[in-house]
Amino acid sequence: MVHGFAQWLQSTRLSVTIQSVDWIIPTVQSIHIVTIALVFGSLLTIALRVLGRVRTDQPLPAVLERFVPWIRNGILVLAATGLVLIVGEPVRELMSLSFWVKMGLLACGIVSAAAFCRSVERRPAGGDPGPTTAAKWGAVATVVLWLLIIFLGRAIAYDVEVWGPLSLSPRA
Amino acid sequence: MDLMPIAEALKASSLSEWMRGSLRALPVIESIHVMAVAVVFGTIAIIDLRLLGLRDASRPFTRVFRELLPYTWAAFGVAAVTGVLMFLPNATTYVVNTAFGLKLASLALAGVNMAVFEFTLLRSVAAWDTANPVPARARAAGAVSLLIWTAVIVFGRWIGFTKGYDFSVPKEIDFDFLGTLLQSVGPHLRG
Repeated sequence: MVHGFAQWLQSTRLSVTIQSVDWIIPTVQSIHIVTIALVFGSLLTIALRVLGRVRTDQPLPAVLERFVPWIRNGILVLAATGLVLIVGEPVRELMSLSFWVKMGLLACGIVSAAAFCRSVERRPAGGDPGPTTAAKWGAVATVVLWLLIIFLGRAIAYDVEVWGPLSLSPRA
Repeated sequence: MDLMPIAEALKASSLSEWMRGSLRALPVIESIHVMAVAVVFGTIAIIDLRLLGLRDASRPFTRVFRELLPYTWAAFGVAAVTGVLMFLPNATTYVVNTAFGLKLASLALAGVNMAVFEFTLLRSVAAWDTANPVPARARAAGAVSLLIWTAVIVFGRWIGFTKGYDFSVPKEIDFDFLGTLLQSVGPHLRG
């Protein structure tokens, strides 16, 4: 079913246009990578702040204020560029196990990030006891989660090589 | 200098053989390369945005700089090692690949920009550590750094799209749009 949809999408005029202009895919991929770097850099800084490694001179809400907009807007750019890449190469993207695992982790990543921000907002101002052990583990888990998301993003191109018999690719 | 004999020797090395013999080695190492690149660019961008006065204007520059640089360097080390591993099995085609050459040239430029910054502006940082705007030359270093590192990523991605075309940038892909892009962005970076 997914394969049929991917093949239909690949035959649409929009997809054919993206396929036929050589520089679109590499340019959009480059924007996608620059943006994931900005998002991950922001995420990493927040995590390191929770772990007490950087920006200890700033209260956590100030650190979030500095970086959360970059994460939120960055994810919008990633979604837009990602969509162009899917429309441009639907079979390569949708018929890839890495792609679907990545989307699953992405949903977890966004939900956990939102939950984390909410928990910080709900904390009383003043007399901040500092991040809890749970928050610290959450920070580490979020970084690992997003590293996996980046890893799987690149692995989409090598579905057969990475997943072997589990691969969804028609090449398998 | 003819690099081809060196490239052939590297391609014949046992590490290169291991890379070529394993189905998963290249995709896994390439994915780790992108993870490392994300940390390198993400942390450098935070420092550059402070130089440009666009973010963190109230924090001393040295704090922003010194607390992130260890992570930048660690990630750069990972990117360099994985980059060499990706280079080895393709050494003979990479040395004649235009995008690869441009990427290495951009990396060299980034190094020069950073060295000049460290040996001139950073020496006098006490005078402008908490300032915003920082001196014009320090702002310029930040803007140049952002542009160069973006170029590193763009050329890096371009390597993958030029491999299939006789391993050089094909005629039908022109870089004119990059020039146009720089022309349109350039005036906004001044000031």
